[in-house]
Amino acid sequence: MHRKARRGRRRAPKRSPVAVIAGVMGELLLTAGAIVLLFVVYTLWGTGLQTAAAQDDLREEFDLQIQSDDEDESEDESEEPGDLELGDAYGILRIPRFGEDWEWLVVEGVEDDDLRDGPGRYPDNAHAGELGNFAIAGHRSGHGEPFAPFPELHEGDIVEIETRTGIYQYELDSAPNGDPDGNRIEISDSWVVDPVPGEPSSTEPEEARLTLTTCWPRWGSSHRMYASGVLVSEEER
Amino acid sequence: MYAWVWRHLPGPWPVRLLIYLAIILGIIAALFFWVFPWVEETFGINRVTVD
Repeated sequence: MHRKARRGRRRAPKRSPVAVIAGVMGELLLTAGAIVLLFVVYTLWGTGLQTAAAQDDLREEFDLQIQSDDEDESEDESEEPGDLELGDAYGILRIPRFGEDWEWLVVEGVEDDDLRDGPGRYPDNAHAGELGNFAIAGHRSGHGEPFAPFPELHEGDIVEIETRTGIYQYELDSAPNGDPDGNRIEISDSWVVDPVPGEPSSTEPEEARLTLTTCWPRWGSSHRMYASGVLVSEEER
Repeated sequence: MYAWVWRHLPGPWPVRLLIYLAIILGIIAALFFWVFPWVEETFGINRVTVD
């Protein structure tokens, strides 16, 4: 008993300074490796947890908006979605190409904080159904990866958005068409979200368009990828 | 480094083990809630908008 207690207090044997430094370096390298692995776990899985919770909140918020709009119907018909703040629920996006049940709540705004919660509407652009370019950005890696199958979008696909004002369907006339590098653009190619894509941004729009943007490559951000379409049907609420 | 921390924790080994695990979990939580989101934003490794 006495001997055991003494052994527990015994100091570690002396090591040469080189061995100590090598030992610490090795431990630091192992730690760095573990942190990198943890970061991968964070991007693949951790970010999605927060997004899933945010989507639930947004759906509730959107339902409440619809309810309160229904209640004060005595007022005039001018229910503009314009009084939304960044991060608020904007509407429900449906893209049958991504699956019959594929449905995401869109938030107002495209800041990092907004896009964490779901696909976001470019706040300076037109609203859904309006003349001009209604544009949405979404992640395709991490944060629930709403746009993960983005290259699968084909020309002719329908993209539906339900907002407080109605349900609008757009038909894509420009899409990656299954090519993983299709419709790849530069980060600075903001012309795709201009009111009339390809024309000076001051051009008066005559069409109601939709544009979706995401990152390229999927697990990086060196470029962007986009798809675009034109309004084909609208159903006012 | 890790052995040094272990030697400086108080109490018998089951207590030390618990303290050690708590410290490690705390560090991982800090990474997930503050460090990783900051890294993601600062280095722009996951941008999806044109500007």
